[in-house]
Amino acid sequence: MKVGMTVNGVGEQVDVEPRRTLADALREDLALTGTHLGCEHGVCGACTVLVDGQPVRACLMFAVQAEGASVVTVEGLAGVDGTLHPLQRAFSEHHGLQCGFCTSGMLMSALHLLRTEPNPGRERVREELAGNLCRCTGYAGIIDAVVAAAAELGTTLREP
Amino acid sequence: MSEPTTSSAGTSVRRKEDARLLTGNGRYVSDLTLPRMRHVAFLRSPLGHARIREVDTSRARAMPGVDAVVTAATPGFAGVALRAQSALPSYVETDQPVLAGEKARFSGEAVAAVVARDRYVAEDALELIDVEYDELPVTVCAWAPPQHPVHPQAPDNVLLERTFTAGDVDAAFDRADVVVERDLTTNRHGGNPIECRAGVARWEAADRRLTFWSGTQVPHIVRTVLAELLDLPESNVRVIAPDVGGGFGVKAVVYPEDLALCLLARQLPGVAVKWVEDRAEHLLAATHARDHRYRLRAGFTADGRLLALDADVTCNVGAYSVYPWTAGIEPLMAGGLLTGPYRLDDYRATVRGVATNTAPSGPYRGVARPASVFAMETIMDTAARRLGISTVDIRDRNLIRPEDVPYRMPSKLVDDSGQYGQCLARALELFGLDEFRAEQQRRRVARQPPIGMGVACYNELTGLGRAASAGPRMPFRTGHDACTVRVNPDGRVVVFSGVTSQGQGLETTVAQIVADGLGVGYDDVEVRFGDTTESLWGFGAFSSRQAVIGGGAANLAATAVKDKVLELAAGLLEAEPSDLALHDGEVSVAGQREPRLSLAEIARVAYLETHRLPDGIDPGLDATRFYDPIRGAFAAGAQVATVEIDRSTGQLRILAWVCVEDAGNVIHPKIVEGQIAGAIAQGIGGALYEHLVYDDAGNLSTGTLLDYLMPTSAEVPDLVIDHICEPAANPLGVRGVGEGGTLAPNAVLAGAVADALGIEIDDLPVTPAAVWKGLT
Amino acid sequence: MKPGRFEYLRAAGVAEAVRALVEAGGDGKLLAGGQSLVPLLSMRLSRPAVVVDINRIPDLAGIDGTDGTAPSVLRVGAMTRHAALVEQRSHPLLAEAARWIGHAAIRSRGTLGGSLAHADPAAELPAVAVATGAVAHVTGPDGERTVAADGLFDGPLMTALQEYEVLTAVDLPVPSRWGFAELARRHGDFALVLAVVAEVDGRWRIAVGGVAGTPQRLACAEALLNGDGATPAEVAEAAATEVRPGSDVHAPARYRQAITGELVRRALARADAEVMS
Repeated sequence: MKVGMTVNGVGEQVDVEPRRTLADALREDLALTGTHLGCEHGVCGACTVLVDGQPVRACLMFAVQAEGASVVTVEGLAGVDGTLHPLQRAFSEHHGLQCGFCTSGMLMSALHLLRTEPNPGRERVREELAGNLCRCTGYAGIIDAVVAAAAELGTTLREP
Repeated sequence: MSEPTTSSAGTSVRRKEDARLLTGNGRYVSDLTLPRMRHVAFLRSPLGHARIREVDTSRARAMPGVDAVVTAATPGFAGVALRAQSALPSYVETDQPVLAGEKARFSGEAVAAVVARDRYVAEDALELIDVEYDELPVTVCAWAPPQHPVHPQAPDNVLLERTFTAGDVDAAFDRADVVVERDLTTNRHGGNPIECRAGVARWEAADRRLTFWSGTQVPHIVRTVLAELLDLPESNVRVIAPDVGGGFGVKAVVYPEDLALCLLARQLPGVAVKWVEDRAEHLLAATHARDHRYRLRAGFTADGRLLALDADVTCNVGAYSVYPWTAGIEPLMAGGLLTGPYRLDDYRATVRGVATNTAPSGPYRGVARPASVFAMETIMDTAARRLGISTVDIRDRNLIRPEDVPYRMPSKLVDDSGQYGQCLARALELFGLDEFRAEQQRRRVARQPPIGMGVACYNELTGLGRAASAGPRMPFRTGHDACTVRVNPDGRVVVFSGVTSQGQGLETTVAQIVADGLGVGYDDVEVRFGDTTESLWGFGAFSSRQAVIGGGAANLAATAVKDKVLELAAGLLEAEPSDLALHDGEVSVAGQREPRLSLAEIARVAYLETHRLPDGIDPGLDATRFYDPIRGAFAAGAQVATVEIDRSTGQLRILAWVCVEDAGNVIHPKIVEGQIAGAIAQGIGGALYEHLVYDDAGNLSTGTLLDYLMPTSAEVPDLVIDHICEPAANPLGVRGVGEGGTLAPNAVLAGAVADALGIEIDDLPVTPAAVWKGLT
Repeated sequence: MKPGRFEYLRAAGVAEAVRALVEAGGDGKLLAGGQSLVPLLSMRLSRPAVVVDINRIPDLAGIDGTDGTAPSVLRVGAMTRHAALVEQRSHPLLAEAARWIGHAAIRSRGTLGGSLAHADPAAELPAVAVATGAVAHVTGPDGERTVAADGLFDGPLMTALQEYEVLTAVDLPVPSRWGFAELARRHGDFALVLAVVAEVDGRWRIAVGGVAGTPQRLACAEALLNGDGATPAEVAEAAATEVRPGSDVHAPARYRQAITGELVRRALARADAEVMS
């Protein structure tokens, strides 16, 4: 089936079997391998992307369901000139990543959190990121990073 | 340009890895796409133990989009097996086949493989393979009577047994005022990096070259065994480990799937074959760990001195002896390190590795010690309660002290740290012991939810040299690593290191070491590793060895290059090398403020203007050095935590957690603390949540992440981490920090429950149901 | 872990979805939020020939009775996402229960109808439906019908919905007082046990999840609660004796049974204890 969607602001078309997950379409058909697969059954959160602004497990949505949708992946987070998004900068400054494999999903979940709750406290960040497993950091650096990014972004969170 | 600092070590410079990993530009094996790539899926045994009568692949083979279907009977596969070797007298050698042939020994063992257009089609084809099994009796528990031998070579399923002895244990027990006994079991769990295993293999028939991209921690070990089993010169095998999404030991094993991919590639010349393990496969067939039973008896004096320890340790090693570490990896580590940071002369421990119809056990962060530390610390807590002394005091009275170092442990390992008391004291200071006791008492009086405190001390053996070498008398010793430091003609530095990184930030740490050792800016150093054609022999990443051994080699190589730079500069400047210094990429003469030569100018001479080379100096500007610390560096550690318990549900809440470790000199503080924090989080996971459970028929009951529960950000508390910095006797004075954090949480959490409620935890994990049961 | 082949149909309306199910002859599956179905497809535990996507059917999502008046019954479209249930203010119990479901990326896709039709015995929304006496609206080849929540759940992952029926909306009575309590191994996990108490039309109802194949009404505990003079502790004790949970890797039966009492006690405490005194 032919599927048209906007990915990181660019119109894309893929021709996929209905069973192809959105995650596989992004990774295999559009070569956007920043979206990672860690469990393929909706638990680990590594494949989290934004679909029409909402966080979605890309392994639990079929590409055909994204027809007409606007998808934002980790590749869409930095500016076109390569300037890192404040969240990305904060992750680096606060050691919010080690192997980097959970990072894409973690960033997308954090982005959604800060858009809906611009100033979450540490405990809220802890709760809201619980849908993204990280095996390396013990989460400390991630929580530090999101809290710091929230402080920097204040209420002026920009669309990526 | 260079960062302005002259010394990089000790500062948390920006990680070199971050720019690509944060933007979705990481290069993981699972991201790799090559021309003519095909995808592999494995058919796995649904039974724990069964003879395989027949595998009919004809329907799968006929499916459109399928390139190949192979089984153990396929030419090229038949008879190929991994055989982990050890010179230990009791060790029974067994084979691990690439694909199960005669029988399947655990649920999840690969029986056949399909190569197809994509993974979807490959999995479609799996459904068309018909296998006839004859079920055999299943053994899943290593301390239950064996039902049917897993391997005919070991009728009792015991693959290895060894007794450690020191002194005269029976006489020591006679002198003891009290003897305490505990029977303990620990829970099987595993590494579960967020990126599962992955591999891509390609065979170039014309020049008989194999390239294997693999998310491995040990590319050189993989190369050696591939070359051996495929009968190729090592130089014809290239193993590349690019970005790897976590390892934790699980990826330090050579697996049958690795071999299967390479054999498949050889059958399909020019076609790259790719397999990305899915999570169900990982839970079923990547190595498990920590399924142990400890039967302990310990004798103490009335004032709490440990006199004697007698232990019987059984480790469930699963269906196969993993390559190259063998079935001995856990039992031998348990027996060798059981006494931990405590002074003891009289010791006896019999350890055994028992095969069962479960996934093989292998190295997992902390190897056996999260279990053995739990056992030892439980004995200390039990004795303290029996003797009416505090759990802190009993430890203080027995810890190896600075004046005892070098301390020869009863297992003959030599402890060079001795900072245990210091770690414990600092941890208790940060924890606030008096305030805790006051609050505990206040809650008791006020009948509020009880709190308890757990404490654990441990010694992490890191950076093992040839005398302490990881693994049980294997045909090779993992003591050394190599590093090449090369200054390019533009004065920039490239480093080829034998270590690998699965998130530990070694690109950054090694660059810091070389920048400091050579005298250049951090930004001018680029580090490459993980590719066997680029770096010299290196064992890779395991046993908290990268900073100690890889870092040591990097330091030696950088220093050697610096020596040559100064010698060359001395010739050009007609000065003595000893009067010159190299800082931030500039050579200056003692007593002069302005630098005289840049490294780029010197490098240009070394490579391009060799007519200017001083007499006796060869062209080029690089050096290769090997480093082996011979023994290793013990890292002392102590952790203390408070838990609150909900009496009505048995639920635990962690209120505070403190960890103090002796990391020696700290190169990158944030990376070091990140290692410790990540390790503690995995330790907490193992203590409270993670449990791989088999039913009696040999089926894994926890085969998805809905049932295998890893801690999330909501479960891991804020951690207070501090360091004691006692430099170790290696070039950088560092001690490994990768694993220590995992060692304590089992003991800390079980101890905290005992402190809060007086309930003795015998079996892990500490679930709410177990605590509740203890309360009723 | 990739799904087997299926035919995909994006239904434009309920009638088309029903027709597609009929044409699939029992081999069709409705795709709502996909948070439970897609893992089953990926693990190939579910192998439908046809997947009928009802995400784009207009009017299946949305909440009636949110016009500012306080409705006594809230009609919620089957495709209303959990995130919207959390956001709405008309049915605080529904919002609280939905907050406990998984994580943000689950709540943004998962739906009320999908949760009821999937019928996981440890899920939040089926228990809320039972506790409040909800009524499901269903459309099938023979037209529309309603199914009371008490009769909706037949067993684990089994409902009274017929093969070709589409759950279109749910009427959820808004309780005058309510309490919700849940215990899970980790934040966001399916419940070990959860308890919902709701006062609807002056009568208390109690439903617990995680202790049986379906959300379970607790008749004895309800009788005590609706009678005179029972203390919360007595109601909780009755609740615990009334359930016969099973064991699994997360908790043995005895534990589940014991904490059922505790969770009912907590739910009652939240509901407002004055009724008991």
